[in-house]
Amino acid sequence: MTEELRVAVDRKANGAVLYTKGYINNVGGEEIANRAYELMDDNVRTLLLNLRDTKIVNSIGISILIEIIEKMIDKGGSIAFCCLTPVIHKTFQIMGLANYAKIFDSEDTALKELGL
Amino acid sequence: MTSTAERQMELTLPMVADIEIAAARAAGNLARELGMSSEKIDEMTHAIIEACINAREHSGCEDNRIYLRFVGTSQGDGSRIDVWITDHGRGFDPDEARSRRPAVGATHKRGRGLQLIEAHMDEVSISTSSGGGTTIHMVKYEKKNHD
Repeated sequence: MTEELRVAVDRKANGAVLYTKGYINNVGGEEIANRAYELMDDNVRTLLLNLRDTKIVNSIGISILIEIIEKMIDKGGSIAFCCLTPVIHKTFQIMGLANYAKIFDSEDTALKELGL
Repeated sequence: MTSTAERQMELTLPMVADIEIAAARAAGNLARELGMSSEKIDEMTHAIIEACINAREHSGCEDNRIYLRFVGTSQGDGSRIDVWITDHGRGFDPDEARSRRPAVGATHKRGRGLQLIEAHMDEVSISTSSGGGTTIHMVKYEKKNHD
């Protein structure tokens, strides 16, 4: 049984939006990390992860998201999330992501607040 | 409180990648049959996923199996689902597992599954012993005030 995650990238003038679709587990988390690190290497310093098509995350996937946030903070940038399901929002709060990354209800609000 | 209906399901699953999704879907289907809300179901399925991952990643069991039992009960004031997830592995220390804090800046970022399980379920009890395996029993209520 596989639950492959797909990631799409939309480059913006001042950053990028990553759209995820599917299960964020260890494999899915690594896929997000690969795309995020490519963008960081390309001097992107503001990254928005839109999780509208992700309904399940696990703690391993979240640990990888934390690593991505750490790397972005080290580079002086920031990562934000939007369009989380209630249970994923709750999970992010439990895991402490909400302390290091902004969370928005909608992409429009996020884009405006982040200046993307 | 009068129990009006009970549904049961037992599964034995191999410890392979993403098998936790099969367990979560089975429990989710049972919960939907009971009329449980999507938010409660999502919380329960995330807890089941973490319990199965813990069994697969940390139990070190020789039979390479996860044993699951779901019991759904419709009651006069709502419904409840009892979930038992068992492995025949080495056991673990729940207090040590609860003490982990994989946040930004921490050296170890993994190992917060138990906290998630306890946050997403209404009741959680753990039976574990060194070399004697582990059973996590967790309960989700449709109504928080069930008494």
